[in-house]
Amino acid sequence: MSGLMTIGPDRWLAASLLVVLLAGCGTKQVVVQSEFPPPVMNRLPLTIGVWYGEEFANHEFFDEAAGRAETSWLVNTGQAQVQLWDTLLRGMFREVVYMNGRPGPGQMNPVVDAVLVPTVEELQYAIPAHTSVKVYEIWMRYRLQLVTTGGTPIAEWTMPAYGKTPTAFMQSDEGAVRLAAIVALRDAGAHFASTFTRVPAVAQWLDGLPRAGDTARRRGRP
Amino acid sequence: MNLRRLAISACLLPWLAGCVNSTVDQMVFNTPGAGIGDASVVILGRRHASDYETEPEFIRCVGNHISSRDKTISVVGEQQFLDALYPWFEPRTAPLRPADLERLLEHRDVAAAFATMQTRYMIWIDGSTVRNDSAGSMTCGIGPGGAGCFGFGTWSNDANYEATIWDFSKRAEVGRISTSASGQSYMPAVVVPIPIIAPVQGTACDSIGDQLLEFLSADY
Repeated sequence: MSGLMTIGPDRWLAASLLVVLLAGCGTKQVVVQSEFPPPVMNRLPLTIGVWYGEEFANHEFFDEAAGRAETSWLVNTGQAQVQLWDTLLRGMFREVVYMNGRPGPGQMNPVVDAVLVPTVEELQYAIPAHTSVKVYEIWMRYRLQLVTTGGTPIAEWTMPAYGKTPTAFMQSDEGAVRLAAIVALRDAGAHFASTFTRVPAVAQWLDGLPRAGDTARRRGRP
Repeated sequence: MNLRRLAISACLLPWLAGCVNSTVDQMVFNTPGAGIGDASVVILGRRHASDYETEPEFIRCVGNHISSRDKTISVVGEQQFLDALYPWFEPRTAPLRPADLERLLEHRDVAAAFATMQTRYMIWIDGSTVRNDSAGSMTCGIGPGGAGCFGFGTWSNDANYEATIWDFSKRAEVGRISTSASGQSYMPAVVVPIPIIAPVQGTACDSIGDQLLEFLSADY
């Protein structure tokens, strides 16, 4: 008798099916990647600095399954966040400069008018299995800080972003959540571009800049 | 003999489709008598509602319907338009009234993009196709001897869409078309499931596309 067990094709088939079924119980992972279009708008005559923290540049959201019937989700948006904000800011401001470190006392950074520090404060998702509505949804809340190179706060505000995508034939949950995240990121860009100069503290800062003759242009008026 | 029967069945399968009822309402204020000439038209989906979303494939279907039947009409793709004018036509920022276009044209680059595309008409489509009233049950099994299904399923689909036509040059709404379609689909299964699908969304697409052709084309 041989020491090796011979397994018949039917057992191989059963084992393969079991592997497929167990794979369905694992974590669903979504890595959001996309190209974003540059905004079509009159550029603000400002040199803006930008600082992406480690957490922002590698942002991911993990939702652990509450029970056996549910699935854990890992949504990684960091790469797409940086891609979006890079493209957006380059289209909105005369010049964009990357900071060497988080603005603060003693931190050596290039000279700019102000530094924007975006962070993702919260991310939530919903799939049809949760809501019985046939759309996949992603909701994010950003915290945006505008500071001087020395770290003195100029403005701080929160900004929501929302994206949804309908169910479609032969579309996986992961694919639909990825699309919803891209829509949410585009919405974040649209929200920021259309409201930045209307944030009260930002508007006050723009009005107080020394180049008073340029204020109207700075505030996006043609 | 068996192969022949199989071939005949395969040819007949695409013709197995459920019935669809469709209604179209049209309200047009000012039709361009000689068509739209060299200008282009863009078809966009409204995506403001929280519980449904106008399907991008429906928007593509209507655009293809128009451009395939009148080759002289240039239809700008929805995504191409949204990217070319980002961020002004995202759900959050899209104009809700023709007069809102004036605000967009204050941006020099936006005005230049519109001029490049020569957009004469902007068509907004709002609506969705939903599945209702599903009934029946089906059991499928797999074993060493083979696999198969047995049972019967039926469901109905309802499509409701409204198209609003804006004349970009006049900054005015010049037409409104609405279509509704409903149909019952069936899926009997004796070993092999045979889907008899009612093409509800396709019928709504053809209905609204035909009405838009009457508006936009000089040949219809």
